Amino acid sequence: MPPILQEFSGGVETLEASGRTVGECLEELEEQFPGIKEVLLDRQGKLLRAFGIYLNNDGLHPVELDTPVRDGDEIVILNFLMGG
Amino acid sequence: MSSYNGRLIRLNLNTGKSRVEEIPRQWMKDYLGGRGIGVKYLYEELKPGVEPLSPENKVILMMGPLGATTAMSVSRMALVTKSPLTGAVAKSVMGGSFGAFLKFAGFDGIIVEGESKKPVYLHIDKDGIHLLDAAELWGLDTRQTHQKLRDKHGKSTQVACIGPAGEKLVRYAVLISDLRVGGRTGVGTVLGAKKIKAFAVNSSGPLSLYDPDGFKKLAKEIIEGLKTSPGRMKMSDFGTSYLTLSLEKDGIFPVKNFQEGHLEGIEKIGDEALASIKTKNDGCYGCMTKCGQVREIKGGTYDGAVSEGPDYETIWSLGGNLANTDIGALIAADSLCDRLGIDTVSAGNSIGFAYELYQRGIITKKDTDGLELKWGDPAPMMTLLEKIGNRQGFGKLLGEGTKRAAEQIGKGAQDYAMQVKGLELPAYEPRAVKGYGLILATSNIGASHMYGRARDELAGKKDKLTEVDKGQDAASAEILQATQDTVIQCSFSPVTGFNAQQRSELLVAATGFEEFADPAYLDKVGERILCLERCFNVREGFNRKDDTLPKRMRTEPLANAGPATGQVFKNLDGLLDEYYDVLGYTRQGIPSEAKLKELGLESVVADIKKYSK
Repeated sequence: MPPILQEFSGGVETLEASGRTVGECLEELEEQFPGIKEVLLDRQGKLLRAFGIYLNNDGLHPVELDTPVRDGDEIVILNFLMGG
Repeated sequence: MSSYNGRLIRLNLNTGKSRVEEIPRQWMKDYLGGRGIGVKYLYEELKPGVEPLSPENKVILMMGPLGATTAMSVSRMALVTKSPLTGAVAKSVMGGSFGAFLKFAGFDGIIVEGESKKPVYLHIDKDGIHLLDAAELWGLDTRQTHQKLRDKHGKSTQVACIGPAGEKLVRYAVLISDLRVGGRTGVGTVLGAKKIKAFAVNSSGPLSLYDPDGFKKLAKEIIEGLKTSPGRMKMSDFGTSYLTLSLEKDGIFPVKNFQEGHLEGIEKIGDEALASIKTKNDGCYGCMTKCGQVREIKGGTYDGAVSEGPDYETIWSLGGNLANTDIGALIAADSLCDRLGIDTVSAGNSIGFAYELYQRGIITKKDTDGLELKWGDPAPMMTLLEKIGNRQGFGKLLGEGTKRAAEQIGKGAQDYAMQVKGLELPAYEPRAVKGYGLILATSNIGASHMYGRARDELAGKKDKLTEVDKGQDAASAEILQATQDTVIQCSFSPVTGFNAQQRSELLVAATGFEEFADPAYLDKVGERILCLERCFNVREGFNRKDDTLPKRMRTEPLANAGPATGQVFKNLDGLLDEYYDVLGYTRQGIPSEAKLKELGLESVVADIKKYSK
């Protein structure tokens, strides 16, 4: 979880979540920590390009939310908002 | 052996003569290169009160010690002068390849002084330095100028030139090298006043290094590590366009001349829309990221328009700021600015200023050459850009920048001029990201996004809206930017380049200067540069009163801006106190004698003392 999302998780950096896809894992996190999706997604519900989601170190662009996950997978969310 | 050539070209346009001179070795250690050495020359050689467009002003083009090496993202060139927009110190850093080939030719920089009676250009090749007649180039746009010079001197000629706007003294004219631009603050204007149209170089190196094997190994390791860097790939895929939707959601993306923070239909000019018309990447010498996005419009009103960009700033200035979501107009306007040689940020901001004055009835069709300035309609923008670049009609007034234009218009127009020290604000709403607002207020060159970035706020590590405890971050950001502009490394190098330790190792291997091994030494160099720029401004009469933000930010609640709705910048004074305290400046914003001595600026003490009351 990047710092911008840790605001919702009480400062916790690593969390566990379950689901069949990355998107479902995010939905579960959203239930626990409301507000996460608002930060990550645009008004159409697509992942904002200022963020990147990586599954076991592999970038998932452009199918981040639909990518299937398995037990023990590691999902990393990175924030690239650094000014332009 | 060292990556410094240790010499520069001093071109006197009064006499038409140039000479090669040594750069003082101690200056390399104290100011490193690029912006640092450029500002040192400017401070030493310009008397206070010089009129920016007079022959007494100088333009300094300066490379850094890593320029033209095989390291990533380091071949940018600093441009330093006294700004015709602000009357303050001016710096801009230009990408591309020109600077690398200037170094291959054996020079770290060029100082341009005086004023030519007729248009000229400078050509550098193995046979020497030649000041040539530019009658055939005068009046050409920047692309035509590149082509003409390559027709004459060969396809591999590296070129940096001004466009018609610089010739005609539009106050925010730029210098352009291929598809890269340098010159917020009007560097191109000063060159136009001196009647120097272009610089051209034919060279092939090689460049010396202190420890060639060590340097090669380091540079290769860094590049290998970056190949799979997610941040670097993001920049390669989208450039800075990926910021647009996120920043707009946070109310940071200003709309309608900073009246609000939401743009309906922004997706039409968002990252995906722009990626859909991308044709290729483009970038600077020696950079594998190539963050430049070449885009082309096919069909419609703007069929055939091609531009490298727009980047986040220009998506805002020629798009969202005018409520323009027409992607074709955005590409065409960006291209037009580049060909005319005008800064897209100041141009778009100035046009937004005009649109708001029209909205409020302060100006009418009688003032705008018959144009109806309606938010969301890009057609008047295209006409106004042509008029600005060619200094015609209403465009002549807008080409003076918003501060001067507002003074001429009167009727309260000053309240709608979104500028600091005379430089137009960039694409960051100060009320929605307060630390960035503090940087825009304190920047010695005026409101530039390239004077320091509030990265911790943008990344969510710091609260964007609080108005305490931001002075240290702003000072650190400005020092970091000064150091980066001096190496010169790309501003995106935290994700596209290397960290502070790697930077130190590269510098030692390139130059042999052991002092550079300590990252803290380089931070001190950055602080020294920042301080010397402030001293330059103090000599020109600047102080705390100039470190401010437009009245709108300090009095009007921000409208329709998501989490920043209702925000006002209430505690700028408190933040200024914090910032000055951190940097060792008096509460008037003037460096203290103790700080000057700590930074090794003893020679400046006497200059500044009379202002330190």
